[in-house]
Amino acid sequence: MAYKIHKPARTLSDQAYFPEVAKGLAITVRRFFKNTFSKEENKVIATVQYPDEVRDYPERFRGVHRLTHRTDGSPRCVACLCCSTACPAQCIYIEPAEYEPDDARYGFERFPKVFVIDELRCIFCGYCVEACPCDAIRMDTGVHVPASHERAHFIFDKETLMSIPGKDGSYVTQNPRHEPGDPSHPGVTREAGHH
Amino acid sequence: MPTFKLDGQEIPFEPGDTIIRAAWRQGIEIPHYCWHPGLSVAANCRMCLVEVRSGRVMALPILKWDEKKKEYLPSTKPKLQPACQLAAQEDMEVFAASEQALKAQETTQEFLLLNHPVDCPICDQAGECKLQDYWLTSQKKLKRKRTEPVHKPKGVVFGPTIVYDAERCIMCTRCIRFCDEVAKDPVLDMRERGNTNEITVSPGRELDNDYTLMTEHVCPVGALTSKDFRFKARVWFLKSSPGVCTGCATGCNTWVDHDPRYQRVYRLRPRDNEDVNKFWMCDDGMMTYKRFHEDRVVAGRLRDGGRVSEVSRVDAIDAAAAALGGVPKGQVAVVVSAQHSSEDNYVLARMARELFGAERFYLAGKPAWRGDDILRNADANPNRAGALAVTPGGADALSKLAADLDSGEVTAVISLGAFADLNESELAPLANLGGAGAGAHVNLTSEAGPLTSAASIVVPVASVAESSGTFVNAKGLAQQFKKAVTAPGGIQPAWATLVEIGHLLGWNPGLALLGDVRSAMPKALPAPSEEAAAPPA
Repeated sequence: MAYKIHKPARTLSDQAYFPEVAKGLAITVRRFFKNTFSKEENKVIATVQYPDEVRDYPERFRGVHRLTHRTDGSPRCVACLCCSTACPAQCIYIEPAEYEPDDARYGFERFPKVFVIDELRCIFCGYCVEACPCDAIRMDTGVHVPASHERAHFIFDKETLMSIPGKDGSYVTQNPRHEPGDPSHPGVTREAGHH
Repeated sequence: MPTFKLDGQEIPFEPGDTIIRAAWRQGIEIPHYCWHPGLSVAANCRMCLVEVRSGRVMALPILKWDEKKKEYLPSTKPKLQPACQLAAQEDMEVFAASEQALKAQETTQEFLLLNHPVDCPICDQAGECKLQDYWLTSQKKLKRKRTEPVHKPKGVVFGPTIVYDAERCIMCTRCIRFCDEVAKDPVLDMRERGNTNEITVSPGRELDNDYTLMTEHVCPVGALTSKDFRFKARVWFLKSSPGVCTGCATGCNTWVDHDPRYQRVYRLRPRDNEDVNKFWMCDDGMMTYKRFHEDRVVAGRLRDGGRVSEVSRVDAIDAAAAALGGVPKGQVAVVVSAQHSSEDNYVLARMARELFGAERFYLAGKPAWRGDDILRNADANPNRAGALAVTPGGADALSKLAADLDSGEVTAVISLGAFADLNESELAPLANLGGAGAGAHVNLTSEAGPLTSAASIVVPVASVAESSGTFVNAKGLAQQFKKAVTAPGGIQPAWATLVEIGHLLGWNPGLALLGDVRSAMPKALPAPSEEAAAPPA
């Protein structure tokens, strides 16, 4: 079914053209004087002098990805590949690896040896953040991917992703993690368990 | 055949069948953890509880909330029975999807997940885990328990191949029963009770028999994981294609699990076949997948004097055709391979006969290994019977080839496969062919081996995972396998490569497709003689 579009009826002053032009110009001239001669706090400029001046993105803006840290500086990521599975653009490549034998996490936990995001291919849908069970990948950086002439500059590896802080400047997240050996994590051996 | 009713559907059963086995035969799955068609019944997971409404119905007295009277009144509910232990009887009425049965499945599932760490992101079983599957079909509720779960040992090394995680274990005892009943090596057992229950290895022992990886395979959860497969791939990325194990003459049916994105095989799993391997495979068989990627020959090799240079596949084919084209008729010896498919061997034998008038056939393969009474055959070659079937005149042992070379009756050799049951010095007469000297030894192979080192011209061909074909096992059963991954660099199966070489020499057998080869092959394979089935001495 075709939609009927109701157009507002035009008044005589609309129809005559010049009164409306004068009204519009009056606003322009008023703003010009107000923004040129009045005090700083009264000015009503809506424009931002980009790139000298940058307006903050909204709180929930999905910016460039970051990999969050644990308290010891290692990545929270356990290379479960949930993000790359959820990714509709298939821009995440991960190679899992095992911790060294002297690490407390050796034997059952894994970490990403290689973690690459192709930011050119990424569509910034945020599915990877939704899929992550460990709060390891976030898009709360508040910045977009910086522009470049080189394709290679958009291939972000693990070190790059871990070097980007969140909007609050921190590399960790508010959600706590229970590491083996912590009092909050009773342990991985029979002796350390509470029974 | 007698039948019983399961959720209103008639299920035929053989006398002695349990409810769950009769349903399994019909392709109906009653949720279960501890039951396995190849193992004894333990009935300890309680997941397969069903309601039986025929015969003498057992009832449990309960108190039931009465909405009208606003109080609990005495009532009864049907006593559920494990479908894995309940023998099927004529005209039985069983309900696996009644309200009571579904409730039982839900509560059993909740109980099993009570102390589960839910570490699916770092668990290799994720994606093929029964706990995940049944949570989705039977539970679908958040955890009600708010206290810290009981912690148990993680990452316990059971042996050279298996790592155990007690927190994920649901104590179904499948691994224990497998070791006891199939591997005949009772090395696993259970210790402690209740919350602290865990699987343990016998003191002073390791889980190191020939069937350790099967314990991981029968584990319905992520408690036992294979060291080899750990953290390598996520199972939901893997595709499976039907294969046949290349480890020995038993010819166990396999699923070749590969990642189509990287064209790489990650593991082999047993494919159920009642006539051959039932549900099982041995460790060495499951590790044969490594040969698909290790020591691969992906380019041609030409030996000139003592120097070996790598050339493209096409150049290698040209060189092979040029070298073989000049050999007088009847002086070409053919080495068929017990490691290659019947198709490859058939085309090689036919080409040699029609093009070179070859009459001398020899059989190469791996030397005998350690067999057992369970699955492993002492002959380490998957297709000895198939290779012998395409050489009706019989094939000599490879050791006779050296004598024939010395006598000068043979001046060129065309061989298939990399392996020989001879050592380097015994292969020296072969290695002396070609190069700077007279004659030639053309070897078609997918991997490096003794025959490859002894060849003057090496032509790369597709491996077993990269081609379709047929293996004839020690019992004389011809089994087909399908291509899983694509060979790198346009490499073709050996039969197609041979046809290419033949074309250059003016041989047009009309074998363009695998179907052509299969229809041209001898239909009825001869029954395996004692000699053919017996392992090499």
